[in-house]
Amino acid sequence: MISKEVMKYSLENLKKKKMRSLLTIISIFIGIATIFIFVSFGLGLYSYINSFVTGTSADKIIIQPKGMSAPGLDAGFALTEKDLTAIERTSGVQAATGIYMKVVQVEYKNTNKYVFVGGFDPRSNLMEELSGLKIYSGRQLQSNEKGDVVLGYNYMTDNKIFPNGVSLNEEIKINGEKAKVIGFYQPVGNPQDDSNVYMTDDFFRELYPNSTGYSEIIASVDTSNIPQVVQNVEKSLLKSRNLAKGQEDFFVASFEDLLKTYASALDIVVGFIILIALISVLVSAINTSNTMITSVIERTREIGVLKSIGARNSEIFTLFLFESSALGMIAGTIGVLIGFALTELAKAILMNLGLGFLQPNYSFWLFAGCILFATMTGAVSGVIPAIHASKISPVRALRYE
Amino acid sequence: MDEIIKLEEVWKIYNEGEENQVIALKNINLHVKRGDFIAVMGPSGSGKSTGMNLIGSLDIPSHGKIFLDQHNISHLSESDLAQVRGKKIGFIFQQFNLIPNLTAKENVMLPMIFQEMDEIERIIKAESLLKMMELGDRMDHYPSELSGGQQQRVAIARALANDPEVILADEPTGNLDTHTGEVVMKFLNKLNNEGKTIIIVTHDPDLALEHSKKIYWIKDGQIERVTEKIKGKWKTLKKVPNE
Repeated sequence: MISKEVMKYSLENLKKKKMRSLLTIISIFIGIATIFIFVSFGLGLYSYINSFVTGTSADKIIIQPKGMSAPGLDAGFALTEKDLTAIERTSGVQAATGIYMKVVQVEYKNTNKYVFVGGFDPRSNLMEELSGLKIYSGRQLQSNEKGDVVLGYNYMTDNKIFPNGVSLNEEIKINGEKAKVIGFYQPVGNPQDDSNVYMTDDFFRELYPNSTGYSEIIASVDTSNIPQVVQNVEKSLLKSRNLAKGQEDFFVASFEDLLKTYASALDIVVGFIILIALISVLVSAINTSNTMITSVIERTREIGVLKSIGARNSEIFTLFLFESSALGMIAGTIGVLIGFALTELAKAILMNLGLGFLQPNYSFWLFAGCILFATMTGAVSGVIPAIHASKISPVRALRYE
Repeated sequence: MDEIIKLEEVWKIYNEGEENQVIALKNINLHVKRGDFIAVMGPSGSGKSTGMNLIGSLDIPSHGKIFLDQHNISHLSESDLAQVRGKKIGFIFQQFNLIPNLTAKENVMLPMIFQEMDEIERIIKAESLLKMMELGDRMDHYPSELSGGQQQRVAIARALANDPEVILADEPTGNLDTHTGEVVMKFLNKLNNEGKTIIIVTHDPDLALEHSKKIYWIKDGQIERVTEKIKGKWKTLKKVPNE
């Protein structure tokens, strides 16, 4: 029975009480915008994580000494050549390579910075595959090459690491030793990896002859049974390090495991924020109910008139339900638009901060779902006031002043 | 006899059986012929409004039967009552009671929506009714842009939207000055001449005497007497003795 005239009647009522409708709409769209923002970023992070699962990182496992906060920071203990050989020989492991990591002082045009330096064997491309490193300009390092480095993307930009961006073929000083920049990697999207200095393992050993060993070992494995391979590697490492079971001073994790850990942490964070947003929507639903109840009471006499000219209870019910649903839908649409604008703004800011991996992910269903959810919230809020309106006795309503 | 309304031993008692019980109508018997023009007179609290609500199927009696166009409406559900009054009764109120957010035309179209009439039909009907009420140039005006008399004429057009058998007017001139009141009464007389049954409730004896054909005098929930205009002269038909 929702005819044009009835729709107009409802919408005009919302318009007439501008301030009240506006406040109600605001209370709903804050929650909806919050949900939109966090779901779109959440979805973006999930698809970022998924890109690794399906990408070149999926078959990798990582072996690191235990107790290290980050590779390269702990000087006490590292993995040895012997450990690497033991891992390479383990069944299920296809290839393995050791990575040196160290925090060092780097100088460029008289500015000093402490950054991570990674030393790797260019014959193996496991590290590039794991981190998704690709050459942006210049060239890749070659085996045994000394005195040359490849830099993360952030070195090219002014005021990211050094006041002035570094250019190809320029020199930087690492621990006082000159090194020529022969290439840059594409941005990976996280500020840590984009600020690394990369060199060959040979050059690293030359610069740091006292280095005790690898900070981490990366291996590519048979993907048919990764957990089994992880166990095998643990066993062969215990043997090579002469340790009994339970005395592990290292840990082995498949990339999949790490991703699962991130994904479940992400589930909790996103879930928690959405829960808070849902509570805010619930509060706004109660507020909407209150608005509608007030509106019903104010229009008691009008309801009486509508009934006297033949409106059934069900028609009065529909009318008020339509009104609160319309409030919800308007709020949902505004919420989605504001959410979208804020998300785009946040995206630009994050990009600028070098956090390019934090990208929102929109889908038609996110837009439609948020608007639908807001409309439903409005509708549900309107049920009790609408029932109340429909049950008003026409005799009493007509006498109501 | 062609009866449009019949009340048989109708009682309306509020809070029946409780301490604060109020008897609004006592054993009312009443017949209204099709095409009649009835006035209901009586002081405030006499029960005339309660009677109007029952005849207008806004309410149901505590006891007794009410027939509207031969149908017993005493025990109908809310929803059926709404349909009955939407079709058979046209209401006119002292306060006009137009919907302020809708134009004159939309107000007249409203009762037709509740009877599920087509949009085109609604528009044609509403326009012709407003023209009949001499409001052809005011159709797209909102109630606030109309004078009291014009608003009441829109209300009459609205009351006529579904071709009701009966027009129930509760103090239709109560909020109007004498002249505009006369104009409104002229339209009601015209409708009566075209065959509509008109029932008005009023305080104003002159209005009742001038326009109606039959007057029910109500007091303390009972019909005190009935007077009828026969060949231009008022005659008392019946006196109901106080119990």
